[in-house]
Amino acid sequence: MKKLIRTAAVAAAAALALSACGGGGAGSASNVNPTGDIKPRQISWLLSRPADGAVINIMKKIADEYAQTHPGFSLNLITTPDRPSYIQKYETLAAANKLPELFDTDATPFAQQLAKQGKMVDAEKLLKDLGVYDTYRTNALNYQRFDDGSLYMIPFQFELEYFWYNKALFQQAGVSVPKSLDDIPAMCTALRKAGITPLALDGQDQWPLERYVSYQPFRDAGPDFVQKLKKGDAKFSDATGQKTVNWISQLGGAGCFQDGFSSQGYSDAQNLFTSGKAAMYNIGTWELPSLATDKLNPAVRNDVDYFTLPATPSSATAANEYVATSGIGMAVNSKTFDPLVSDFLKFALAKYPSEYAATGALSPTTNVQTTIPANATPLYKKAIDQAQDLGTKLAMPWDTQLDPTTNSRLQQELVLLAQGNIKPAEFTSTMDSTIAQNAPKFFK
Amino acid sequence: MLPNRSRLSVLVFLLPPLLLYGVAVLFPILQSLFLSFFSWNGISDMEFVGFANYVHMLTGDGVFWRSFFNALGYLAICLVLQLGGALFVASLLTSLRRGRELVKTLYLLPAVISTVAIAFLFVRIYSIDPVGLLNQVLGWIGLGSLERPWLSDVNTVLAAVSAPEGWRFTGLYMLIIYAALLAVPQELEEAARLDGANRWQLFTKIRFPHIRPVWITTTIMATTYGLRGFDIPYLMTNGGPGQSSELLTTYMYKTAFTSTDFGYASTISVFIVVECLVAVGFILLMLKRKADA
Repeated sequence: MKKLIRTAAVAAAAALALSACGGGGAGSASNVNPTGDIKPRQISWLLSRPADGAVINIMKKIADEYAQTHPGFSLNLITTPDRPSYIQKYETLAAANKLPELFDTDATPFAQQLAKQGKMVDAEKLLKDLGVYDTYRTNALNYQRFDDGSLYMIPFQFELEYFWYNKALFQQAGVSVPKSLDDIPAMCTALRKAGITPLALDGQDQWPLERYVSYQPFRDAGPDFVQKLKKGDAKFSDATGQKTVNWISQLGGAGCFQDGFSSQGYSDAQNLFTSGKAAMYNIGTWELPSLATDKLNPAVRNDVDYFTLPATPSSATAANEYVATSGIGMAVNSKTFDPLVSDFLKFALAKYPSEYAATGALSPTTNVQTTIPANATPLYKKAIDQAQDLGTKLAMPWDTQLDPTTNSRLQQELVLLAQGNIKPAEFTSTMDSTIAQNAPKFFK
Repeated sequence: MLPNRSRLSVLVFLLPPLLLYGVAVLFPILQSLFLSFFSWNGISDMEFVGFANYVHMLTGDGVFWRSFFNALGYLAICLVLQLGGALFVASLLTSLRRGRELVKTLYLLPAVISTVAIAFLFVRIYSIDPVGLLNQVLGWIGLGSLERPWLSDVNTVLAAVSAPEGWRFTGLYMLIIYAALLAVPQELEEAARLDGANRWQLFTKIRFPHIRPVWITTTIMATTYGLRGFDIPYLMTNGGPGQSSELLTTYMYKTAFTSTDFGYASTISVFIVVECLVAVGFILLMLKRKADA
């Protein structure tokens, strides 16, 4: 028996060693101009975007056009819209060295390790080589950059995040648009008194609550705070950290979020707002079709407006600087990068912006204008035009910044803090020790 | 004793399933054991850390212990619902004269519904806004003060995620126990009745000793399934709020696929394997001792 176990262990070790070493051969990340003939074949894109969304529909169309002049070419789109499931799939494939030609990723510490190992093509060089680099919005590219400024992902969208609110409900409760973040807890108390749910929150997906923890530090100390926090150079016990911890606790205490928010999902939160039960809803411009067109419930359609992340004159960031993301980016696998992939990207990236803007969305580039849909309310144009007046500092979503273990712990502890299950002091010590324990593994 | 030729043929026929078992079950377990001595995130170089993962798990990881005790609570609720409920319903079934098949089918139904559907169903049942079934019923019967978001309340969430798992498999174990109860010899029961045994005595002295082997098997099945429970808690709350419904299995999964700490996740999985083996040994020991007594 002992012998058997030993043999099996050796076999296990050998298999692991083989899988770890096998299929290495990462191509060079900086060679953006592969030479040779274009040999059409099927290429795959592992992505995390809505199955019938604009990006997928447009890329399918573009791929079909490309296939007409390149018989044998096809683009296989493998989408997993649910982000946590997608990340698991992508990280497992990365571990097995089986990533396809194109794959989606945020600028996470994990992705940065992949980039450092030369597994992704340098997107800055690639976009410059394809002659489209200058057409991109600076903010759209900056969102995709790693801490060191390097760029390995190509953006396909550009979204601004607002606080949508219901004017009628505000009036009913006698509250007005907040002048600073510190006004919000008192507003919640007033709204609750009037029997209105102040903020609709998708607690199940966890990232929406995590946005809130990033707001105070962004206004108080600027975008650098999270960069320092994630490495343990700044702490939740610092003045800025304490400000956000106490604020979340106050939001919870004032009943800002709907009862049982932690088990309510994306559509629950949206329904709460669009049915006129909740006064505010913090979401991005990707929801414009449901918030600013005739698809919106007629009972609230004319009452909906938005405000951007409140700022005061003493804030470290300006009023026109808030969360603006270019969504999950697309990375190009350096191992499979060849003349065909390069040629297809050149073809696709040239055509994509105009097609995308025609759907009523904000393109990540500045060379096209968004078409306002025929069924849009006046709010649609206002929300789109807001992109023209955008500052240079971005509020980065923290879930793309922190190491994954700290991030999951933060998401869990935030719910407890907002529900009043733990006190700010407990939250602070748990999170600071979690960061101290996990950050060094990712940010050596 | 089989003659030589047929012993050989038995071996020949047993070999393929044994090989399959080795590849599909033993190999992954050994691989986990091997990985548990490393620090590895899937794309970094594997770093041998000895017993560091085990030391951290047992002495430095509060979430691990929280998940362990949650898993025990989850197991207890599942076992009471599954085995207690199954035994109760099966006993009632034997005394039912009509409609047995219908009752059996109704009880078995949850076991054939997909897990995802069950999870969504119960999320709606526990919901408070919009008001779900449970809170509505509580309101109707005058227990409105108990209305709460069951899945967001740290005090109720563990019971709330355990109940669907228990409910789901009650019918399956009921069927097994019912079949065993049917096999209890009628003459023995009749003789006992003539001697003046009441229903309780009949159950404890005649029926239960007869179904003990089946009971042991179902207990082992329910316990190991309970210890490995994953899907319903993961789908309903993802371990939250906080770590209130985090089980060892969901924690292991997150460690592996969210934190990409494959080494440490393997350490937790080795613990789960050991925990299941210990549980089975414990059950066998306890029930055997009772049988001998």
